[in-house]
Amino acid sequence: MAFLEASMVNKIYHDKKKQEIVALSNFTLSVEEREFITIIGPSGCGKSSFLFLAAGLEPLTSGVLKFNGKPVKGPDPLSAMVFQEYLLFPWKTVRENIEFGPELRHVSKKQRRESSCNLIKMVGLGGFENRYPNELSGGMQQRVSIARALANKPQLILMDEPFGALDALTRETLQIELLKIWQQAKCTVLFVTHSIPEAVYLADRVVVVSKRPGTIKEIVDIDLPRPREREMFTSPSFIEYERYLKNLILEEI
Amino acid sequence: MDGSTKGLSRPVVMVNGTDLFCFSRSLFNRSKKLLSPLICLGVWELIVRLEFINPFFCPAPTSIVKELYVLLFTGELWMHLGDSVSRAVCGYFLASLLGVGVGLLVAWSRFVEDLIDPLIELIRPVSTFAVIPIFFIWFGIGDVSKVLIITKACFFPIVLNTIAGIKGVDPKLIQAARSLGAEGIALWTRVLIPSALPMILTGMRVATSMSVTTLVGVEMLSADSGIGFMVIDAQRVFATEKMFAGILILSALGFSFDRVARLVQHRVLAWHKGV
Ligand SMILES: Nc1ncnc2c1ncn2[C@@H]1O[C@H](COP(=O)(O)OP(=O)(O)O)[C@@H](O)[C@H]1O
Ligand SMILES: [Mg+2]
Repeated sequence: MAFLEASMVNKIYHDKKKQEIVALSNFTLSVEEREFITIIGPSGCGKSSFLFLAAGLEPLTSGVLKFNGKPVKGPDPLSAMVFQEYLLFPWKTVRENIEFGPELRHVSKKQRRESSCNLIKMVGLGGFENRYPNELSGGMQQRVSIARALANKPQLILMDEPFGALDALTRETLQIELLKIWQQAKCTVLFVTHSIPEAVYLADRVVVVSKRPGTIKEIVDIDLPRPREREMFTSPSFIEYERYLKNLILEEI
Repeated sequence: MDGSTKGLSRPVVMVNGTDLFCFSRSLFNRSKKLLSPLICLGVWELIVRLEFINPFFCPAPTSIVKELYVLLFTGELWMHLGDSVSRAVCGYFLASLLGVGVGLLVAWSRFVEDLIDPLIELIRPVSTFAVIPIFFIWFGIGDVSKVLIITKACFFPIVLNTIAGIKGVDPKLIQAARSLGAEGIALWTRVLIPSALPMILTGMRVATSMSVTTLVGVEMLSADSGIGFMVIDAQRVFATEKMFAGILILSALGFSFDRVARLVQHRVLAWHKGV
């Protein structure tokens, strides 16, 4: 039994005119524990929808979706989501944002403080504990958002184009740090992105989704050694993966 | 009024030229806003003193101030002010309680919304002053109906802003909160209400000025106390100085209510962008 198992998952939305929008059709994917999966595909193909289903934030229309062997029924304490728009609570400081999840789960104040201190250090926000989100740059806000997700000690992290709104340099730093965090926290990551190099650099496997209704077109294993170095971007095998994936995506547009 | 030049005397500390320059510069900048009202007052005083207008119709500012002085010391003002403020404050807080409460219920349940929304839409455009007679018949002409009329006036901006505030919360922010484990009551108290707070407080601030406006109206229509009553009573006996003094107090009341509301708003929303 896989860690996260989706078989023949369908998701149908209804728009305002009651018209059906099939976002996912027969979506089948199994994810092993501690894997790093990236998902790419044309926009509107249902990538975000799949993350929302996996996070238990949206009900599925039909099919089976199991996390840790149990059907996903609602938000699971062991999974956490990170969004492109950061979605921090503007009335909470960095520390309060990070401690929000544990607070809801009645973790003692002392433990919360301890783990938030560690997380703040881990994402490199020392000295900013008491700042409010609107006082931080986009990159820093996304760091807070990642720390906030990690605070619940999740086994599964769902990331929906988390670095999509950041400049190239910040993006690169955060990619490197995310890999470190992933190795440290020993969790599983499902990461949606628009950037093919990002997908290849981070992933164990890249899932290519077809245009709507989203089905899996192909899953590509990335056989590059870890830890991943930035120099890989120019290695022949990296470029070959990139070219291959680009062609797959282009077929869909 | 004879000691008024004392305020203009320079401070008796040693300052060098630039300091003095900066000091008078900042004093000027700060008092700039007061310039045009002061000129108006001066012209007004002059017109009355030179007997271009009969002071009976329009007493000079200094006579109004003198009248205020008298009212302050006879205690008449305090009695009226106390009655007025307690009516406005009671009506306002009742409206805040009801407005936020009903607003949250409407935003929470589709059923309640269908039930209450048409009522709100029907009653809201009706002028508060048009329904005053109904309140008088139902609740008598005492303080109860006065407070309830003020409540009616303050209720709508608060309830509408509460509904709009909750409904306007970014759905993705709600999903982010849910994925962190916020559900049910916690989602409301920890996420929805704090998110909507800026809107709710804006409604409450709008309501403060409504409370004073309505207070004046009801007190002028029917009362035997309160600043509104004092003004209309002074008009009936042609005590124009007292009338003007009362109007001045009412303006100050409206102004200070808004200032208090603004202070609360800024304190609570210190985190909010642009504050
Ligand atoms: N809440 C919703 N209601 C109606 N339609 C939706 C909703 N969420 C997504 N969709 C539709 O489902 C399709 C897939 O959306 P999404 O999963 O966001 O795609 P992606 O993330 O791959 O760009 C799109 O056509 C989108 O318009
Ligand atoms: Mg998306």
